[in-house]
Amino acid sequence: MSPTIARPLSPAQAPRRRKPSLTRTLVLFLLLLAELIVFNLLLPGYMSPGSLLDTSRTFVETGILALGMTFVIISGGIDLSVASLLAFVSVVMGLSFQAGVPLPAAMLLGLAAGIAGGLLNGAAVAYLGLHPFVVTLATMAIYRGAAYAISNAAAVSDFPPWFTTIGQSYFANGLVPTQLPALLVAAIALWLLLSRTSFGRRVYSVGANEIATRFSGVSVERTKLAIYGLMGGLVAVAAIIQTARLSTARANASMGLELPVIAMVVLGGTRITGGAGSILGTLLGVLVLAYLQDGLASVGVRNDWGLVVVGAFLILGVLANEFFRKSPR
Amino acid sequence: MKVLWLDRAIKRPEAPPLAFLMIMAILLGLTTPGFLAGANLLSIVSQVSVVGIVSLALNQVILAGEIDVSVGSLLAACAFTFATMAHVTSGLLLPLLASVAVGACIGLLNGAIVTVGRVPSIVATLGMLLALRGVVLLLGANGILLVPSAARLFGLSTVLGVPVPIVFLILVFAGLDIANRHTEWGRDVFAVGSNRRAADAVGLRAGFVKFRCFVAVGLGCGLAGTVFAGQIGEIQATAATGFELQAIAAVVLGGTSITGGRGSTFAPVIGAVLVGVILNALTLNSVPGTFEQLVLGSLILAAISIDAVRFRALRRAS
Amino acid sequence: MQDIVEPTSCPATARAEPAVVACRLIDAGKNFAGVWAVRHVDLEFRTGEVHAVMGENGAGKSTLMKMLHGVHLPDEGQVEVFGRIVSMTSPRLAEAEGIAMVPQELDLFPDLSIVENLFVGRKRPRTRLGMFDWPAMRRAALAAFARLDIAIDVDASVRSLSGANAQMVEIARALMHDARIVIMDEPTAALTEREAQRLFGILGELKRRGVAIVYISHRLDEVFQIADCITVMRDGERIHTGPTGDLEMATLIQMMVGRPLSKLFHRTRHPAGDTMLELRNLGRRSAFRDISFTVRRGEIVGMSGLIGAGRSEVAQAIFGVAPATEGQILIAGEPVSIATSRQGIGHGIIYVPEERRSQGLVLEYAIDWNMSFSALDRISRGGFVSRRREKQIAERFRSLFSIRCNGVGAPVGSLSGGNQQKVLLAKALVVEPDIILLDEPTRGVDVGAKAEIYRIIDDLAAAGKAVLVVSSEMNELLSMADRILVMHRGRLTGSFDGPDFAVAEIGAAAAGILVERAEDVALHPGAVT
Repeated sequence: MSPTIARPLSPAQAPRRRKPSLTRTLVLFLLLLAELIVFNLLLPGYMSPGSLLDTSRTFVETGILALGMTFVIISGGIDLSVASLLAFVSVVMGLSFQAGVPLPAAMLLGLAAGIAGGLLNGAAVAYLGLHPFVVTLATMAIYRGAAYAISNAAAVSDFPPWFTTIGQSYFANGLVPTQLPALLVAAIALWLLLSRTSFGRRVYSVGANEIATRFSGVSVERTKLAIYGLMGGLVAVAAIIQTARLSTARANASMGLELPVIAMVVLGGTRITGGAGSILGTLLGVLVLAYLQDGLASVGVRNDWGLVVVGAFLILGVLANEFFRKSPR
Repeated sequence: MKVLWLDRAIKRPEAPPLAFLMIMAILLGLTTPGFLAGANLLSIVSQVSVVGIVSLALNQVILAGEIDVSVGSLLAACAFTFATMAHVTSGLLLPLLASVAVGACIGLLNGAIVTVGRVPSIVATLGMLLALRGVVLLLGANGILLVPSAARLFGLSTVLGVPVPIVFLILVFAGLDIANRHTEWGRDVFAVGSNRRAADAVGLRAGFVKFRCFVAVGLGCGLAGTVFAGQIGEIQATAATGFELQAIAAVVLGGTSITGGRGSTFAPVIGAVLVGVILNALTLNSVPGTFEQLVLGSLILAAISIDAVRFRALRRAS
Repeated sequence: MQDIVEPTSCPATARAEPAVVACRLIDAGKNFAGVWAVRHVDLEFRTGEVHAVMGENGAGKSTLMKMLHGVHLPDEGQVEVFGRIVSMTSPRLAEAEGIAMVPQELDLFPDLSIVENLFVGRKRPRTRLGMFDWPAMRRAALAAFARLDIAIDVDASVRSLSGANAQMVEIARALMHDARIVIMDEPTAALTEREAQRLFGILGELKRRGVAIVYISHRLDEVFQIADCITVMRDGERIHTGPTGDLEMATLIQMMVGRPLSKLFHRTRHPAGDTMLELRNLGRRSAFRDISFTVRRGEIVGMSGLIGAGRSEVAQAIFGVAPATEGQILIAGEPVSIATSRQGIGHGIIYVPEERRSQGLVLEYAIDWNMSFSALDRISRGGFVSRRREKQIAERFRSLFSIRCNGVGAPVGSLSGGNQQKVLLAKALVVEPDIILLDEPTRGVDVGAKAEIYRIIDDLAAAGKAVLVVSSEMNELLSMADRILVMHRGRLTGSFDGPDFAVAEIGAAAAGILVERAEDVALHPGAVT
C-alpha cells in the first residue's frame, strides 16, 4: 500500500468555496493602489476618476482577450494566436465593408471569422491531440498571414461615424469611455460562466485532471473545442472595438499583443499549467499592468520601459504564484 | 539486416521533412529556372544560417522538454552588442566575445529562472523576450546602428569560396552532433526529455541538464548575432522581431517533437533549409510577399499534424 | 504479534556452492504519516535462491522492496548487504551495492534505443579518442540479450517494443550491472505463458551464478514452480517464511488472507431480482473478446483474474470510456449502444476507477466539488450549478459514509486514503446509477475503511442495484460476491457460484490452466501445478 500523504493544498488555487485567494487578491489590490498613488504624486490628478476612466479605453480590448485567455489557461492550454486572429477579424470586417456589405453584417462576418479561427485551434488541440503551444504558434502565423494576404497589406479606414463612436466616444457627461461597459459586461458574464456553471466546472476539471474528467462522463474534446471557440468569439469582440477605436482595419494590428495578455492572466494568479485561476484575479492583473504601462508613459518614462516591466512582471507573477502556493505548508 | 536499416531510417523523426525537402528541391529544379544553380543554393543556405545556428541550440532545449521563446530579443541584443563593440574597438575578436558573453549571461538567467525558480519555461522566456526587447529599444535610442564594414566579415566574406555564415553553421552543427552522440552532456538531454521520472531514477540531474541547454541557446545566439549583424549591416532596435517563431518553426518542421525526447541534431538544419527553400521558391515564382506568413504557418500546422498522426500510427503498429 | 518464532530464512538446500546471506532486513519498519506500512520485519535473502514474497495488496510487500532498493530508508531497523549495514537513500546507491530492481511499472526511455536505455546514467565505454564506443556498447547489449537467449534489434527504440520485450530490457539492464541481488516485482504480469517460461529459465541461470532473487508475484502457480522459499506478508508484518516444498497452496492462501473474515465483511443475502445488465460476446480489439455474462438487480458479481487479464477493460467498455468494438450490451433486456462515458451514465451505469488519484478525483478540489462533478446536470438549472443542492448532497454522503473531514469544502487531497475512496464512491452514487462497476474498490485503504466500504457495497445490492466488483483480493470476492467470474488474457475462463466457492479452481482459471491449449501445456509441463 502506498499510504496517502495528506498534502495541504492552498485554498487559494482551488476554484471556489474556500475563501478566494485572499492573500493574492489583496497583494494585487495593494500593488494597484501603490502604483496609482505613486503616479498621483508624480502627476497630480492621475488618480481622479475622470483620468482613470479615460485610461480604461486603452485596455478594454486587452482585457477582453485576457478574460478569454483565463479560460484557455485554466483548461491547461495556451493561445498565442489571439493578436493575429484579432487582425484577421478586423481585416475581414473592413474588407467586406469596403466591398459593399452593410457594416452590421460585416461585423457579424467578423464574429464568425473569429469563432471559426478559435474552433480551428480547438479542433487541432482536442481532436488531433496536438500541443496547444505549437498549434497556436502555427495559427498565429496563419491568421496574420491570411490578414496580410487578403488585404494585400492595405488598410481600410473609411468607417461611418456611428461605428467609430463605439471606440472613441463617452457616456455619462464625457466620463465613461463608450467601450468600457463591454469589458464590464464580459467580465461579469464570464465570471458567472466560469464560477457558477457546469461548463465552468468542466474547464477547471480538464485543466486539473484530464483523465479523471474523462472518467466522469465529460467529453474533454468538446469542452476544449468550446473553450477555444469562446476565445475566438471574444477576439472578434475585441477586434470590433479596436477597429472602431483606431477607425482602421489593417493586417499589422495588435502585433505582439498576445504576450501582455498572457502576462496579465498569469499575474492575476491563473496557474500556467492549468486547473486554477479566476476572473477576478485576471481583472486585477489587467488593471495592475495596464495602469503601470499607462502611468509610466504619462510621467514621461520611455515607452520601451513598458516592455521591460511587462516581461519582468510575467516572470515575477509566476514566481509569486509558486510562493503563494507553498506558503500554507 | 539491410531492410532493418532502411526501416529504421524511415522511422527516424527527421525522415519525412528530409523527404519533403528533396521532393520540393526536385520539383523546384524542374519548374523554376535558376533554382538549382549553385549560387542560388549557396545563397539559400547562407540566408538561413542565422536561423539554423539559433535553432540548432534551441533544438537542445526542446529535446530536453522545455522551450525558449526569448531568442528573437536575445539575437537582437547580441547583434546590438557586437555592433556597438565593433565601433569601439578595431579587432573582431572582442566584439565576438562580447556578443557571446551577453548571450551566455542571458542564457544563464533563463536557465536559472526555469530550473531554480521553477517558473515554466514558456512563461520565463516569454517574459525575457519582452524585457530584453525593451532593453534593446532603450539602449538603441538613436534609431539605426550601422555595423562598420570591417565588422561585416562574419556575414559577408567567404572562406575557400564558402560563405562564413555557412562555415559557422557547419561548425555548430558538427559540434552539437558530436556532443549529442559522444558526450553525456548531449545524451542526457534526450534522456531527460524522453522520460523525466526515469531520468531521475537513474540519477541524472535533470535540472542541470536543462540549465545547460538554456546556456547553449545563449551561446548560439551570441554567435548567430555576429553573422546577423554582418548580413543586415544596420541594426534597428526592432531587429529580429518575431525571429523566435522562425527558429521554433525550423526545429519543429525538421522533426523534433515539441514535447521533448524525440528528434535529432539534423532536424533544425533540415527545418531551416526547408523554410529557406520555401521562401526562395515564393520569391522566384513572384508570389507576393504578403503570402509568406500564411504559407509558412500552414506548413508548420501541416507538419505537426502529419507528425502526430504518424506517431500514433507508429505506436499502434508496435 | 506472532508468538511462534519463525525462521527468518529457509534452511539451506543442497547446492554446489554454499549459499550465503546476500541481504538481510533487521527489525525493519517504515512509517507513513503515522501509519506503519511495514514493521518488525526480520528477513534474509540468500545467494542462489529465488525467494518469493507473497501477500495481498497493502500487505507491505512493495514498501519492503522499496526499502531494499533505496527508495525508502527504514524508519526503524536496518538493512544489511553481504554482512555490511548500509544506508541506501537512493536507488543509485542501491545499485552501487549490487541491488537491481525490475519494476512492475516499466520506467524506460521510450524515445531512446535499447542500447542507450541500458547505458543511460552509467559509465559508458570510450574509445581512445575520447568518443563513446558505440560498437562496444552494442556488443555489451547484444551479449546481455544473448545471455537471456533473446534475439532483439538493440538499435530499435524502446517505444516500438512489446510489453514483454520492454520487460526484457529492464531485466537486461539489471543483469548488465552484474547485480548480486535482483528484485523482481510481478515480472510476468505483462508476459505470455511462453515468455514467462523463458524468464524462468533465466532465473535458473541467475541462480546458478549465485544471484539472490527476490520475487514478488500474485501468481500462485508460478511461485510454486520457481521459488525455493516463500515469505508471507500480511498487514505490514512477516507471517511466515519457509521452503516452498513445505507449503500447500491452500495453506498459503489461508496465511495471506489471515484474519477472521466475518468481522471484516458484511454481506446480507437476499434473492436477486431481474436481469439488469447483460453482455453478449462483447469484445474490444487487442483487449478482450467473447465476454458474455449477466448481472441481476441485487446481485454482486465478482471479477477475478491476474493483472492485465482485461477485467478493467471490460468494465470500462460497459461504461463507455473505452468502448467495445464488437458484441452487444443489454440493459434491462434492451440492447443499447454506449460509445462514451456520458452515454454510459445516461444508461444508469457508473464506473468507479481503480486509480483514485489519476482517474477518479481532482485531489486539490473540494469534497463537494468532486462528489457532484459526474452529476452536474442533475443539480444545475439552465447550466447554473445549485450550490445549495450540491452542499446538501455532499453533507448527506458525508454522514451516510461517515467521511472524516474538515467540512465538505476541504480539498479531497487532505483526506486519508480510505476517506478519499469513500468520496469516490459517493461521486459515483450521486448520479443514482442502477448498474455500478467497482474496480478495486478497496485498494490502498486501511482495514477500518475497508469494512465500511464493504458495508456500502452490501447496501447497494440490498437496494436492488446490479453490482460488478473487479478485485485482485480473492478474499474480498469470496466473501462479498454471489458469483465470481474469472478472466485470463482477455477471455472469460470461469464462472463460479457462491456462497461456497471452489478456491483452487478459481485460482486455476485465473492462471489460465483450464483453457490453456493442449500443446502449450505439453510444451511447458511446469506450468501445471
